[in-house]
Formats: sequence, structure tokens, C-alpha cells
Amino acid sequence: MTKLTTTIRTALFLTTALTAPLAWADDVPDMPEHVVGDAAYPFDTVDPREEKKEAIELPDSVAPKLELLTDEEIEFLKSGDARRFAGPAKATVEALEKRTPEEVKAWVNAMQHVMSEHRYEEGRDLPNIPFNTESTEFNAWRAERPRSMDPEREDGPIALGRYDGRGGPPTFGGHPLALTKEDLIAGEVDVAILGAPLNMGSGWRDSGSQATTDLRLFGRRMGSLDQYVQVNPRDVLNIVDYGDVAIDNNSTERSMRLVREKVREIAQTGAIPVIIGGDHSLEYPNVAALADVYGKEKVSVIHFDSHYDAWWGGPHLIDHGVPVYRLINEGHVRAADYIQVGLRSAGPDESGFKWMREQGMRYHTMAEVEKRGWDAVLDRVVAEASEEGRKIHISFDIDVLDPAFMPATGTPVPGGLDMRESITIVRRLCAESNVVSFDLVEFHPALDPTYKTALNSAFIVKACLTGLAMNKEGKTAEHYLSPLASEHALDDHYGDQQQYLDATKAEEEAAKSKDENREDDE
Amino acid sequence: MHTNNKNRGMRTFLLASLLIPFSGALGAWSVPQELSDKVDALNKAQRSFITSGAAITVIPESQLKHELATREPESLKKLMDDLMTVAEQFGYSPERDMGAAPLNLTSDRFHWRVVTPPALREMKREPGPFSVHRYLYPTSGVPTFGGAKVAIWPEDLVAGNVDVAIVGVPGNVSSGVRDAARAPNEMRALNTIATPDLQSLVKPFEVLSVVDYGDFAVDQMSIELSIGHITAMVAETAGTGAIPMLVGGDTSMLYPGVKGIASERGAGSFGLLHFSAHPDTERNEAHTISDRQAVFRLLDEGIVKGSDTIQVGLRGPDVDASTLQWLRDKGVRYHTMAEIRQRGFEAVIERVRTEVDKGPDAYFVSIDVSALAPAEMIAAGRAEANGLSIEQVRMAIRHVCAAKDIVGFEITDLAPMMDLSRLSVMHANAVLNACLGGIAVRRAGLDPDYVHPLALDHGQR
Repeated sequence: MTKLTTTIRTALFLTTALTAPLAWADDVPDMPEHVVGDAAYPFDTVDPREEKKEAIELPDSVAPKLELLTDEEIEFLKSGDARRFAGPAKATVEALEKRTPEEVKAWVNAMQHVMSEHRYEEGRDLPNIPFNTESTEFNAWRAERPRSMDPEREDGPIALGRYDGRGGPPTFGGHPLALTKEDLIAGEVDVAILGAPLNMGSGWRDSGSQATTDLRLFGRRMGSLDQYVQVNPRDVLNIVDYGDVAIDNNSTERSMRLVREKVREIAQTGAIPVIIGGDHSLEYPNVAALADVYGKEKVSVIHFDSHYDAWWGGPHLIDHGVPVYRLINEGHVRAADYIQVGLRSAGPDESGFKWMREQGMRYHTMAEVEKRGWDAVLDRVVAEASEEGRKIHISFDIDVLDPAFMPATGTPVPGGLDMRESITIVRRLCAESNVVSFDLVEFHPALDPTYKTALNSAFIVKACLTGLAMNKEGKTAEHYLSPLASEHALDDHYGDQQQYLDATKAEEEAAKSKDENREDDE
Repeated sequence: MHTNNKNRGMRTFLLASLLIPFSGALGAWSVPQELSDKVDALNKAQRSFITSGAAITVIPESQLKHELATREPESLKKLMDDLMTVAEQFGYSPERDMGAAPLNLTSDRFHWRVVTPPALREMKREPGPFSVHRYLYPTSGVPTFGGAKVAIWPEDLVAGNVDVAIVGVPGNVSSGVRDAARAPNEMRALNTIATPDLQSLVKPFEVLSVVDYGDFAVDQMSIELSIGHITAMVAETAGTGAIPMLVGGDTSMLYPGVKGIASERGAGSFGLLHFSAHPDTERNEAHTISDRQAVFRLLDEGIVKGSDTIQVGLRGPDVDASTLQWLRDKGVRYHTMAEIRQRGFEAVIERVRTEVDKGPDAYFVSIDVSALAPAEMIAAGRAEANGLSIEQVRMAIRHVCAAKDIVGFEITDLAPMMDLSRLSVMHANAVLNACLGGIAVRRAGLDPDYVHPLALDHGQR
């Protein structure tokens, strides 16, 4: 460490020692980021994709069947609401013909009953889910431990082990631990890996906060050499484990603010947040936090997932199926700045695809992969992501992979990517485009006693860390691979032997002059 | 929704007490003689924070003593100020905190759990339970609880004069391993219910009319939004005269289960016998309902009386002095694993039997599978080391179900994913069958302790 940084660290250490630790974020942006009190959701909730079914005309022939109906009931029977039950005009007429007027009345009343039950009604329904605000421990779950409770220490990453930082409690990739923003600043941290063990959304096959824990246990490989490109992220980047963010696993909505604040805190220091989930609801606070720091509509998102996660219209404003819609709805990201990769679940249907196309959202389904081949889609995605050097958040749902590689996920869908494809695309994106944030979500370890999913998940994170390190080293050429590692060059089998020998030599010389420059600086 | 906030012992402890002076609400903390100089050097608010006992809710007592003994005065003052800052922020502030999670009020499925009205049902059939099988003696096919016939509507229960309706309540939201939603189907899939009661040789499915009543719908993103529907459905089921046997679902589902029975039978008209490692009487949670609050709400709202409540098998993280004292104050008869270790299971279960016999005529029997030792029930959502054996639980439940008028039964928090062998599912079925067998014994007019001579002894000389 240079003298200068030591001085800065000391200064920061003293500053922190003199100011009380802040238990709550004090730098809240202007946009309403979350509801306080019992306020309503401040954004529009009507989904433009919901097609309003047209009213129908009924032929005079069925008039006798309608004789017991009031005008209001006849209007309802013609309305779009009735279409959900009675079907189009032809089916409605058939249904009327086989019923007596009494049965018709009961039939229409039943439809009206169901529709009225389905919809929120003021006075009858609560507009929200109240918490127990009288609890004296209302905020205990997110109370931060004052620094003064522990012995004084310098700011900066903390190596937990006694053997060159190793041998302590498990951290993500074996990287040192940071607990505060001051630690990130003092350590000049490039990448902060944050656990967010939210598991409410993907109720199928789930297991508490085990996901972030298990990725610490089995994720040592997040910090090692990548043979393909001969880059070790640990040597290039200052990477820390930033602990877990507090989660209320009885309320996703309530957890959103904490995640957003913590991700924002990381991004504000200039470090790249890597968020380990947790279910895919997390994409919402993660990207919203980036919008807080970099500005609205300034960040693009690459959404790796078998699901498009832009569903909407249920009673809940956040779960693991809606983060994309909510981000767009609140103006954090433009739909046109979304790139979707790996879609293959039951939805979206045609209206969903039409909506994506109209919005300018670029989607790359497994149907496209089936048609064009993976390599073509890979190049297309990387090219799209690198347009205009836009800031990129990668949201990586491990169910984009085939369940053969990732059985321990909430909503697996067969027919997905394999590890070789996934590592390559993630490494390339993190190297060749301007990735400012990354999340890996939907890991549920209890489903997989073999730990395969944990290990593979760690390798996905490693692929991004490697790419980020390549980016910092300037190895951003299209699909860079080490000329030394990718070709023995002992013969001219492919007819390009000399090219590899030259490239290897050029790299050696570049590395040498870089080392010399570094010595000059010091 | 906030009726659960009454009578809360701890609730005034911080916010109120932080409005200087710190008095009353907490047990005062008496400063050890050798540390009194250190405390005296602090300002009035800080002193009050320590002596009121508020400090030791934020910092462990042993650490507080250590810090008082070793810190320099300035450092100690700063620590106290920091701790007070944290403590002040524990409570709710409507300007700062979300007091209620907003919902999508324009949703077309705000309540999607709407039972299809008769006029919209496509198929016409006579009411009554029906088989899902093609064969007279099926060995496989669509799985139902114990291979029972299926009923869908209350009129099916009435027409079939149904005695017992087994129904899934697959809630998944609470704190345990989130797989309880799979429990009803896994218990259907392992066809080990419907076995004869070994002691009496009574066959429950011959004595009783038992149906699989399907599942009641839940909102997997909100217990709060699930309660009303489940409560109404349980009440409707009980209203037909059938005994609802509910298969959770996590233990938050106990609350609407018991509440539903109470809304049909009357609050306080029956006792609650609850086997569980967890007392589920959390009194200060930021939510209004969760598994950890289920029993608290039942008692707090008077749905069951504390004096008619028995808990067996308590242990684990939520069993502390303040919780046991609260239970005692409520008149609850609790039996911890400490009592069982000290006095022996037989003695304790005899005590429970006596308590039940002296208790009300009717009982709701519930078991959170965490009551069982993980060796026999590894797939508990909130598994807890030690615990009762399957035979102990089975025999205790069988007895109560044979000796009392059972108004409802519920088994909760089975997380099948956690047990690849399915032994846990088999044991969950055995527990349900124990109560079913007990009900059948009573219905057959036999004494609860009756033993069939053929079952007791081979009779060979």
C-alpha cells in the first residue's frame, strides 16, 4: 500500500471515530422509493396489456330467456366481464338457449358475484396488509449494530483467517469481509458481494437463508484463476464479502427498502454490487438502487431467466414474477433498455410478446436459440449489451440454466443453457460491456444434496468477476481468450500457428512494460 | 387487525421508557457496586438508560458489564449514545417506516380465491362423496387422503352424512422451511392413513364416513390475505356436522383453522391440545400473524381460553422465562421437554390425560410436527433437537380423540422436501390416523382404553 492511501485511511478512520454510526440511510432520493405509514402505492397499477374484452350484442331470439333479468343484469351479460365466464357471443347464445329464464338469472347473478368478489372494494377490503405498528421491536430486524459496540479498528476490509486471510469463517470466495461504507471506501473496493436471503416469492421448494450461507460454504472458487483467459480476479480487483442485508421473510414488500439502500450504498462508493439471492423479487430493489445512483433510465438490464418476470395484475405489488414490470412502471428502467435471455417458461403469451416488441424490449428466447444456434444468439446479445457503452446490470436467475446443472432452484424449466454456454456469455458480458452490477438469484440449496447447484452458481459469479477483472485490465476484445491457454501452437494444425505465437509474445511484452511502468510510479 | 396488541407485557418497554426517565416498564438493572463510579460519570439520560434495564435489551448484560469496567469515559459515553440511538429507532414511525404493505387495488384478482358459485358449475351431478377410481379395489390412481372418496361442496358433505373431512391448507408463508405447501399432497401420495386402530381393531373408514375435501386456497404471498377465506371455509365445513381434519401448511394456518371452528361452535367452547416444540406465542412481532404468533392470537382474542389450552413438547429458541411466565399467567398448562426429562414421559402424559379429562367436553387437537424428535420427523419446517417419539405422540393423540368430542384436528409444518426417505410423511400420516382411529373408537361406543383381546394376546397355551 502506498503512503498516500495509508494517510487517507487514517483520516477516514478518525472521521468515523468521531461521528456516530447511522443506523438508517440518510440519503433518500427524491422519487418516492417506498411507502411510509399506510399510504397507497404511489404509481399507476393498471396493466396496459390487459385487453378489455368487447361487449357483445345478443340476438332477439334469446329475448324470452332474458325476461327475468333487470336492465343492469342484461348490460352485465353483454359486457366484457361476462365474457370471462360466458365466452364469446356464440357460446353465450348457446348457454342461454339451454337454460330456463330462472336459470339464466341465477347464472348471471353468479357471474356478477364472482366479479365483485374478485375486485377490491373500498370499505369491504383492506387496501393493504397492516403490520403490527405497536410492536416495540418493529425495526429490530434491521437495527444495525453500532461500531462502538465492538473494539475500535481501522476502516477497510477485514481478513477473517490467520493464514494470509484464509482459515476463518467462510466468506464469498474467501474474500475479506467489509461491514460499512467506510470499509468499502478505505479498501478501495471494486466489487462488494452482498447476500440477500429473501425467499418468499418462489415458495416452491425453498429453504430459508441457506442460499447465501451455502454460497459462502461452497463458493471458494469465486476467487481463483480463470484458465481460459489467464486472469485471476483476486489479483486484479479488490473484492469483499459485504455480509447479508436484513430481510423480513414475512414481507417481501417491507424488505425492498433495505435491499435498495444497501445496494445503493455499495454503488455510491463506486464499487460494483454483486447480489447473491434470494428470489428474483430482488431485481427490483437492485436496479432501483442503481437508478438512484446513476439516474433514471440510465441503466440497461440483461435479464437471464427462463421466465420474463414482467407479469402484473395480482394483488401483490412485488413477488418473484413481477420485478421487471415494476421497475419499468416506476420509471427506473426503460423497457427498451431491457434484454431478456433464455425465456422458455409457459408464459409470456402472445400479448406479452407483443407488449415486449412494442416497448422495444429485446428478447432472446430458447426458440431463437433453437432456430439460430447458440453462438449466433451469444454474439447478438453481447453486441446489444455493448451498444453506446451503456451501464449494464445483469440479473442472473439460475433457472436460465437447464435443471440438469441447477436442480436447486425455485421454478426450474427444462431445455435451458448449459454451464459452458453460461460461463462464456457471463464472462464476455462482464468483460466487453460496461457492467456496473450483477445479481444471482433463485438458489434454494435444500433441493440439491449434491451441492452441484451451489458449485455451479459460484462458477457463474466467478465468470462475472473474471470478466470484470478483464475489463479493468483492458482485455475487452471480442471474445478474448488467452492465446497461450487456447492453443499449444506446437504445429500448424489449424493453419494459424504463427498468429498464436505472435499474440502470446505480444502479451508477454505488454505485461513486462506494464510492470516497468508500475515500478516507475512507485 | 390490531386486536393482538392487547395485554402485551413487554410492549411499553422501549419507546415509552425512552421518553426520559426510563422507569417502570422494564425490570430495573442494578449497577454492580464496583461499576457504580463508571455509571455515575455518565449523564442523566445515559444513567437512566442503563439503570432502567433498557440498555440490556440492546447489549448483552455480560458485555455491558465488561464495557463499563474497561472503557475510557469518552468511549463509554459514545457507546451509550449509540445504543440509545439504536433503541430509539426500534419502534414504528409513520413518517419513516412502512406501516402497511400496499396492494394493487386495480387488480382483477384481488381476491382470486372465490369458490365457483353453483350456477357457474358446468357439470351437473347428484351431491355426495364420489370415488376417483375405476376399480372396486384400487391400488393406485389419483391420490386422496387414505384413499378416501372426494367431496367438493358442502352439499356433498351433507348428502354423504360425512363424519370427517380431511382437507389441505397448503400455506407456505411462515418462518420454517418453505415446503409445507407440499405436505397435503405428499400425505395423499403415501397411502398409509386408513389403517385399523391396532388396539381396538376398529377400522376407521368402516365406522366413519371420511372424505378428502380437497385443499382450501391460500395466498402464498400473504397469510393475512388467506385468513378470511380459510376461516370461512373451515366454519362452513364444520357447519355440515363433519369434523374438519386440516393438513397444513405452516403453523400460521392453525389460527384460521381454530378460528373457523370457533366461529361455528362458539369461542371458548372447546379446549386446545397443542403438540409442538414451539409455543408460538410471540407477543411483540412487527407482523399481525405468523406461525410464531398463531397461539398468541388464539389466546389473545379469546378464541380459546388459556385455561382450556394444553401445550406438550415445548423446547427450542422461543421457550424462555418470559414466554413460560406469559403462558402460566394465561392459565395454559404447558409441558416442556424439561418436565418430561425430569418426571418421565409416562408420568407427564398421565398428567396431560388427567388435564384433558378434567377439561372441556370438546377439544381441538393440533400438532406442529416439530413436537416429534427429528430422528423420526426430520421434515419439520422448524425442526428442533430432541423431542417426543412417534409412539408417544400417537398414543397421546389417540387417547384424546377417543375420550373427547373432537371439533377439529390440524397437523402443520411438515416440509416433505427435507426427507428424501418419506419416513416423515409416513409418521405424519400415522399421527393423523391416530386421531382418526380415536374418533372411530368413540363413535363405535368403545372405552378409550379398550383393548381387543385378539390384539393383546395370541392366546396360545
